[in-house]
Amino acid sequence: MKRYQFNEITTMQYIFLISGIQIGIGILSLPAQLADIANTDGWIAIVIGWGISIIASMLIIKTMEKHKQDTIFDLSRRYFGRIFGSLLHLAFVAYALLASMTVVFTAIHVIQTWVLPNTPNYLLMMLFMLPGFLIARNGVRVLGRYAEFVFYLTLWMPVLIAIPLQKGSVLHMLPILKEGWAPIFQAVKTTVLSFLGFELAFVFYPFLKEKKHAIKAMIIANSISAFTFLLITVTCFIFFSPDETPSLVWPTLSLLKTIEFSFIERFEVIFLSFYLFVMSTTGIPYIFTTVFGISQLFKKQDHTIVLVIAVCVFIVVSFLYNPSFSHIQTMGSWWERYGLWGAYVFPTCLFIYVSVVRWFRGGKKK
Amino acid sequence: MNGTQQTITHSLDMNEQTLRDYFTKTPDLIYCHIWIGEPKKRALLVYLNTLVDKNSINNNIIDPLLFETKQIETIIDIQLPIGSKSYTTKWEHVIQHVFQGETALLLDGDNRVLLLDTQGWPQRAIAEPQIESSLKGSHQGFIETCEKNIALIRRYLPHQQLKIEETTVGRRGHTPVSILYLEDVAHPEVVQELKDRIEQIDVDTIVNTGELMQLIEDNPFSPFPQFLLTERPDAAVSNLLQGRIVIVVDRSPSVMIGPMTFITFFQTVDDYSTRWMIASFLRLLRLLAFFMAIFLPSAYIAALSFHYEIIPLNLLLTVGESRERVPLPPILEAILMELAIEMLREAGLRLPAPIGQTVGIVGGVVIGQAAVEAGIVSNIMVVIVSLTAIASFIIPNPDMSESIRLLRFPMMIAASLFGLVGMVIGFMVIIGHLISLESLGTPAGSPFAPARLRDWKDTVLRFPLWMMRTRPLSARPIQLTRQKKFRK
Repeated sequence: MKRYQFNEITTMQYIFLISGIQIGIGILSLPAQLADIANTDGWIAIVIGWGISIIASMLIIKTMEKHKQDTIFDLSRRYFGRIFGSLLHLAFVAYALLASMTVVFTAIHVIQTWVLPNTPNYLLMMLFMLPGFLIARNGVRVLGRYAEFVFYLTLWMPVLIAIPLQKGSVLHMLPILKEGWAPIFQAVKTTVLSFLGFELAFVFYPFLKEKKHAIKAMIIANSISAFTFLLITVTCFIFFSPDETPSLVWPTLSLLKTIEFSFIERFEVIFLSFYLFVMSTTGIPYIFTTVFGISQLFKKQDHTIVLVIAVCVFIVVSFLYNPSFSHIQTMGSWWERYGLWGAYVFPTCLFIYVSVVRWFRGGKKK
Repeated sequence: MNGTQQTITHSLDMNEQTLRDYFTKTPDLIYCHIWIGEPKKRALLVYLNTLVDKNSINNNIIDPLLFETKQIETIIDIQLPIGSKSYTTKWEHVIQHVFQGETALLLDGDNRVLLLDTQGWPQRAIAEPQIESSLKGSHQGFIETCEKNIALIRRYLPHQQLKIEETTVGRRGHTPVSILYLEDVAHPEVVQELKDRIEQIDVDTIVNTGELMQLIEDNPFSPFPQFLLTERPDAAVSNLLQGRIVIVVDRSPSVMIGPMTFITFFQTVDDYSTRWMIASFLRLLRLLAFFMAIFLPSAYIAALSFHYEIIPLNLLLTVGESRERVPLPPILEAILMELAIEMLREAGLRLPAPIGQTVGIVGGVVIGQAAVEAGIVSNIMVVIVSLTAIASFIIPNPDMSESIRLLRFPMMIAASLFGLVGMVIGFMVIIGHLISLESLGTPAGSPFAPARLRDWKDTVLRFPLWMMRTRPLSARPIQLTRQKKFRK
C-alpha cells in the first residue's frame, strides 16, 4: 500500500529539497568560523565533512529502506513501542522546531542588520510567515517543486560570488597544511554541522517516487552543498587576507559588498533580499516537519490547523522576544549540538538497532 | 408546466391545445395548419418564427407537403429535403427542440411528433478575431455559433480521432457545450475530469465561456487564469495537437482550452510560424515584460524609500532633481499614476472608437506632460508607468495581462512597507501559489516545477520545429511522440 501516493516527489525534487535545506543560513558565516579554527586550510575540512555527511545520509536511507512507506514518526512507533516511540517522535519534532526557530530568527536578524534596520522583528516575522504558510500548507509535493524552482532561480548567485575571485590572490591559500592536520580535524566538527539538513530524509524519504535512486540522490544533494560551501569558502580565503576572514561576522556578505556596477551599488542589499529564497528552502521544510510531526502525533491527516497554530505561535514569540545577536548564536549552537546527535549519532544507532531487531525477528520466523 | 407531463395523444386538436396551454404569450410561435398527402390528412407545423430559417420551411417542408400526392409516410421519408429528422413521443423533447429552432410536425391520428431541423438564427459572418489579432495565422475567428466553430476546427483536423462530446449546461439556458479532443492523444482521465466538472454544474444559464471557465476552474481564489480563452481556430487546433482539450460553448465567440500551464499564456500560435530565433526572442521579451509589469513600479518605490544607497550617486542626483518639486512620497506618486493609467485604459476600452481616441490624447497629454510640469509627479515616474503599461500590453493573453496588472498593486504596497525584502517575499508568494496551482489536475508550474526538461524546448525559447518531436508532458498526452522525423 502506498500511503503518500498523491504526494510523491521526483528524484530531482528530492535532491534539490535536501540540498536546499543544507544550504541556508550557515553559509553566511561558515568561512569565518573555518578560518578561525583552521586558517585557510578550512576547505579541507569541508571535503572531510562532505564524506562524513554522505556516510550518515546513507545510513539513514539504509534504515528507511526497510519500511519504504514509513517516516521516522511511524518507524519510531514501530520499533520502540508506544511510549518510547512517542518520546522519540517528540524529540524529532522538538529538533525540527528548534531548527526552524533558529533559521527564521537568524533570517530576521540578518535582514535587520543589513537591509531593514528600522523594521520591528514581528513585522518581518509576519511577512516571512506568509510564503511559509502558503508553501508548507500544501505538503511535500509543493515543497519539492518549490525547492526545484528556487534552485533554478538562484543559479546566478554562485556565479556572482565568483566575481571577486579575479581580484583575489591565490597565494593566500598557500602553504597547504600550514598548521598540520590537528586544526583541520577540529574544524571538521563545524563543517559537519553545516551539512545539517540531510536528516530530514527521515521524513521525506517515503515521498520519493523512485526509491532505488535514493542513495544516489543523497550523494548528489550532499555534493551540491559541498560544492557551494567550497566555492564560497575558497573565494573568501582568496579574496580576504588570512587574518581578515575570521574577524568578519558575515564574510560572505562582505564579499559581495565589493561588487559594483555603473548603475547599481551596494549589491549585497539586493543579494541578501534574494538570499531569502535560499533561506526559505531551509526554513520551510523544517517548519513543515514540525507541523507534520505534531499532526501525526494526534493522528491527523490534515496539518493545516497545526500549521495555523504554529504560525501564530511564531508571530507571538517574535512579539515578546527580540533575540540579540548573541542569543541567535546560542540558538545556533543548540541546534548544532542537537543536530550532531540527531543527524549523526542517532541514525548510526538506529541503523544498528533496526538491523539487530530485524535479524532477531527474522530468526524467530525461521 | 402541465403540458410536459401529459402524453402526446392521437388527436391533433388535443395536442394543439396542450401546446397552446404551454406556450402562452408567445407571439412568435407559429401554428400552421395544412392538409397533406393522399388521402388528405390534417397536419400541424409548429415553429418559433424568430429562430427558424423561413426559406427552409417554405421550400423544404411546406412546398413538398402541400404538392406531393403520395402517402404521408413516403412524403416524409423521401420528399422532405431536410437533413436531420427524428420522431419523438415526449412533449419535453418537442418543446426543447422547438426552442432550438426546429420545426415540429404533428399529424392527426399519430402520437409521434416529427422534429425537423430548420434552425436559422441571426449570426454574424466569420471575421477577423477582435481581441487576438493574427499576424501570420488564419484570419478567421470564432463566431457565436457552435457548429460553425467546430467546422473551423475540423477544417484543420480532418481526422477520425478528433472526438466531439456534447452536453448542455444550465437549467434554463440549456447552453450546448461541446468537448473536443484527440482521442489517441488526450489523457482519458483529464477528459473525464473535465466532463465530470461540467456535469456537476447546476446553474440557471451560462451566457459566455468566461462564466463556464470560472465554474469549473481548480482554484477560484487565484489571480491567474487556469484555462485559455481564444478566438482563433488555429490556436485551438495547435493546443488540440498538444493533447489539450477544447471546449466550445454555443453563443460565445471564444473557446476554452485546458489544461494549461502558466508559461503557455506567454505563447501564441504565431510563434510557430515565425522563424525560431525571432520567436524565441519574442518569448524572452514577453517574460521580461512579465517581470517588468509586476516589479518595475515596486522596484522604484523600494529603491527610493528604502535602498537609495544602491543607486549610484550620479543617478541618484538625476532622480532627486526630477523629484525636487514633487510633494508626494514615492508610493503615493506611483499609485496615483498607475491608477490613472488603469482608468485611461478602461475608459478607452468601453468607449466608441472616435471618443476613445480623444481619451487617449487627453490622457496622454495630461498624464504625461502637464502632470510633470505642474510638479505633481516626477519625470521618472511617468517613464516607469509608461514602461509598465507597455510591458503589460506585450503579454499576448488578455486574461494573464489583467492578472499581472492586478498583482502590481499588492507588490507596490509590499515594496513601500518592506522595500526589496517585501518584493522578494511577494515574489515568493507568487511562486508558492503558482507551483501549487493546478489546471484540471495537472500542475500549472510545469515544466519548471515539477521540472520536465523535455518540455523546455517549447517554453521560454522556441526550438526549431524539427526538434519538436514530442508533445508537452504537461498536457499529459497518452501519445507522446508527435513525429519521428521531418522528412519521408
